[in-house]
Amino acid sequence: MTNFPRPRRRLLAAPAAAVAAATLLAACSGGTEAEETTDASGTPAAAQDVVFALKEDPTCLDPQQTSMTTSLNIGRQLTDSLLDQDPETGDIVPWLATDWSVNDDATAYTFTLAEGVTFSDGTPLTSDVVAANFDAINELGDAASLASAYLAGYTGTDVTSETEFTVSFSEPNVQFAQGATTMSLGILSADSAAATAEERCLAVVGTGPFVLDDYTVNDSVTIVKREGYDWGSELRGHTGDAYLDSVTFPIITEASVRTGGLESGEYDLIQDVPYIDEARFTNDEYRLYAAANPGVPNSFVINTAHGLMGETAVRQAITKSLDRDQINLLTGSASGQAPTSVLTSSTPGYTDLGDTLAYDPEGAAALLEADGWELGADGIYERGGETLTFTVTAFYAQDVLEAAQMQLADNGIDMQINMVAVGDFFGAIATGDYDALGAGLTRTDPDALRVMLSAESTGRWGIVDDAELEALLQEQAATVDTAARQAIVDEIQQIVAEQAYVIPTLETVQLHASAAAVDGLTFDSAARFNLYDAMVVG
Amino acid sequence: MRSAGRLHRAGPVLRFVAPKVLQALFVVWATYTVTFLLIHALPGDPVLAALAVRAGDAATTDPEVLDALRAQYGLDGSILHQYVSHFLALFRGDLGVSMATGYDVSDMVARALPKTVAVAALALVLGFVGALAFTIAAYLARPQWLRGAISQIPPLGIAIPAFLTGVVLISVFAFQLGWFPASGADGFASTVLPAITLSLPTGAIFYQVFSAAVFEAGEAGFVRTARAKGLSQPVVIGRHILRNAVLPAITIIGLQIGYLAGGTAVVETVFSRDGIGRITVDAVLARDINVVTGVVMVVAVIYAVTTMIVDLLYGVLDPRIRTRVAAKPRTRSHAATPAGGDDA
Repeated sequence: MTNFPRPRRRLLAAPAAAVAAATLLAACSGGTEAEETTDASGTPAAAQDVVFALKEDPTCLDPQQTSMTTSLNIGRQLTDSLLDQDPETGDIVPWLATDWSVNDDATAYTFTLAEGVTFSDGTPLTSDVVAANFDAINELGDAASLASAYLAGYTGTDVTSETEFTVSFSEPNVQFAQGATTMSLGILSADSAAATAEERCLAVVGTGPFVLDDYTVNDSVTIVKREGYDWGSELRGHTGDAYLDSVTFPIITEASVRTGGLESGEYDLIQDVPYIDEARFTNDEYRLYAAANPGVPNSFVINTAHGLMGETAVRQAITKSLDRDQINLLTGSASGQAPTSVLTSSTPGYTDLGDTLAYDPEGAAALLEADGWELGADGIYERGGETLTFTVTAFYAQDVLEAAQMQLADNGIDMQINMVAVGDFFGAIATGDYDALGAGLTRTDPDALRVMLSAESTGRWGIVDDAELEALLQEQAATVDTAARQAIVDEIQQIVAEQAYVIPTLETVQLHASAAAVDGLTFDSAARFNLYDAMVVG
Repeated sequence: MRSAGRLHRAGPVLRFVAPKVLQALFVVWATYTVTFLLIHALPGDPVLAALAVRAGDAATTDPEVLDALRAQYGLDGSILHQYVSHFLALFRGDLGVSMATGYDVSDMVARALPKTVAVAALALVLGFVGALAFTIAAYLARPQWLRGAISQIPPLGIAIPAFLTGVVLISVFAFQLGWFPASGADGFASTVLPAITLSLPTGAIFYQVFSAAVFEAGEAGFVRTARAKGLSQPVVIGRHILRNAVLPAITIIGLQIGYLAGGTAVVETVFSRDGIGRITVDAVLARDINVVTGVVMVVAVIYAVTTMIVDLLYGVLDPRIRTRVAAKPRTRSHAATPAGGDDA
C-alpha cells in the first residue's frame, strides 16, 4: 500500500494543468453553442430562468448576520433596505423609507415608510417591524458583526406611528445612513426577526423582488420572482415585478468548472472569474462584470509599535519603492487599476493621491541614506549591522505580496512573507505581534479608515500613535455635513498615505461573467449585484 | 465434522470474535485521542479562526466575546475535562456544534454521509469489477508482451491525480455530451462521474492485489491439477484462481475505505457535491475543530467496523481460518492446505 503515491491533496492548488485541460476541451464545444443560439432565437420570448454559479456555500442566508459576500449577494435579492445608494455618485436616495432626516449631531434619524409594502409572507411593513429588526440586530451583537457596526451606539427605535419612527444613538453615527442602504440592514419580516439566529440562517422572509424557494446546504439556492412587487428604489431600471422568473444558484467551488460551465452554456452567470481566465470572456459571446471592492485596498497595514515600522523614513521608503502599476499588471484584473489612495477609487470620499503613491525609487534611496542606511553587499540596506527587513502577515493574495517583495528587493528592502490561516491572522491582530498585515478592508464608507486605524476601534488592524489623525478619524464619524466631512476625509487620506501607515498594493476587483444573453445585472456601491433589472434577451 | 462441531463452537467463536471487537474499540479510542491531541497541539485559537470565517474582515478580537463563544462551543475548562467530556458525548451521538456554520455536527454528518457513501460504494464496485476484468484479461493474454501491456494500464489510475480525471470527465461527459450533471448531489446520475473518478485509484489498488494473487495461484500446483483433470478454462479461473484472489482483495477493502474517505475530499470539491470530504476540507480550512473531530470519529467508526467485519468474514470465506476456529489452537498446522484445493 505504501508504494502508491497519494495524489489527493494536490487538488487544493487548483493547478494550471487542470484549468488548461478544461480550456482545451471546452474550446472544442464551440459548435454546441451556435446551435443553442438558433434555438433561442426561434422562440418568441426567452425563458426568464437563469443559473448563476456561486463559488462557495453561502452558509447563512440572513443578510443581517453574514458578512460573506456570496451570502450578501443572495440576501440583496430577498430583502429591501430603508434607503438606497447611487454607486456612481454615492448619493443616498429613498427606498422603503420615502423620507428621512437626521439631527445635527447624527444621533437621531427619523424615517417615513412607504405605504402598501408587504413581506412575502403577506404581513405589512410597519414601523414596529423595523424597530424589531434593529433591536434584534443589537441583540445579536457580534453574531451580526457588519450590521451591528452600522448600528454602533444604538439606544432604541421610537415608533411614532405606523409609518414613522426615529432611530437613536448614544453617540454620533454618520455612517448609519449609508449602512441603511446595505442588505446588512435589510428589513426582515416580524417572524424572521423574532426567529433564532440559526433558523434565520436557513430561511429569511423580506420584502425583496425575489423570494427564497429552496436552500440545500452545500448544494444550491433557488429564488423565485415575488409577484406584485412594486417598491424598487428610483435607482432601478424599471418598476413592478422582477424580469427573471427564477434564479438557481448551484454552488460550484472549482473555478475551472464554473468557467467551463459558462462556456458550455450550463451556467448563465458565474461568480468570481479567476483573473487568469479573464481574457476568455472578453469577446461578444460574454459579458464581464468588474467591480472594485470599496474600502481600503489590499495594503500593508502597519504596526508602528513593532520593529523598524516605527521609523517614518522606512515606511515611506517602502511605499515609494512599490511600482503599483506593475503589481496590478502582474497580479490584478485587466479591468482593474492600481490603487491611488488608501481608499479604493470605488469608495465614496476617495481622493486621488496618485502623486503621493507614485513609484519613486530615488526618493526612497534618498530617505534611507539620509537616515544612515547603507546598501550592503547583498543589495539590502544596513545600518550599524541591522538589516532593513520587515515581515508581512497575510492569509490571502500571496501573489500580490510576492510581486511587492520582488520590487522591494530591487530597491534594497528585504520583505518577508508570513502566510497564515485566517484564524492565525486575527490571532496576530489580537496579540499585536506583526510588522504589517497584508489585507484589504471592504466597507462602503470612508469610515473604513477609522475602523482600521483608530485606537478606539474594536476592529483595529493598524497600530498608529498619531493624535492628529485620531482626532480627525473621530471627527469625520461625527460630521453630518457632506462637504465638511469630505474635507476631513481628504485630510485623513493624505496623512495616512504620506506617513505610510497604510501602504496600498492592489485594488481587488470582483470579476463575474455572464452569457451575452443576460442583460441588466447591476452592482451596488459595495460591488454586490442586484438581479432585479436582469433579464434574458433573445 | 461440521455438524458435529457446532455445539462446541461457541467457545472458539467467542475467542475468535472478542479480540476483533476489542481491537475495533481500541482503534476508535486511539483515533479520538490522537485527533484530540493534534487539534490541541496546533497553535492559534480555533474560536477566532471560526469567527473569522463567519465574520470575514469584520471579525472581532475582543477577548470577552471569544470567551463567551468558547463556552458556547464546549471549549472552556481544562484540557482533561474537554478530553473526557467530548469522548463521553460521542457515545450519546453528540458531536457538538460547528463553530463556523452553527449547525449540529451530527446533523451535518447525517446530511452528508449518505451522499458520500453513494459515491464511495459505487466507486468500490466499479473499481472491484474493473480490476477483476483487467486481471482476467491480463491472465489470459498471450503473447507475453500483450499481457505486459495490459498490466501497465491499471496503475495509470493511481498515477493520474483525481482532480485531473474529474475535470476532464466534467468537460467531456457533462459540458460537451451532456450525459451527466457536472455538479450537485441529486440522484444516481450525479454519482456516476465522481464514482468513476474515485474508482480509478481504488481499482488500481485492487488490481495490484488481485493480479499478484491470481498470477501466483495460476502457477500453483492445484491449478495444474485442475487443468490436468480436464476442467475448462472458465471453471479453473472462476473456481480455483479467483477464489484465492478474492481474499486479499477483501482484506484491502478496509484500507480502501480509508483511501476513499480522503479521495472524496477531492472529488466532492471538483464535482461541487455536498459530502463528508467537502465538509472536512471546509472544516480544516476554518479550524472548525468540532466538525473535524466529528467527521474523523465517524470515519474511524466506519473503518473500524468494516475492518472488523472483514476480519470476521475470513472465518466464513477462508476454509483455513474456518478450520482454525473450529479446531483447537494447538492443531493450527493442520490447516495449511490451499483454499482452492478444498472443494476440488
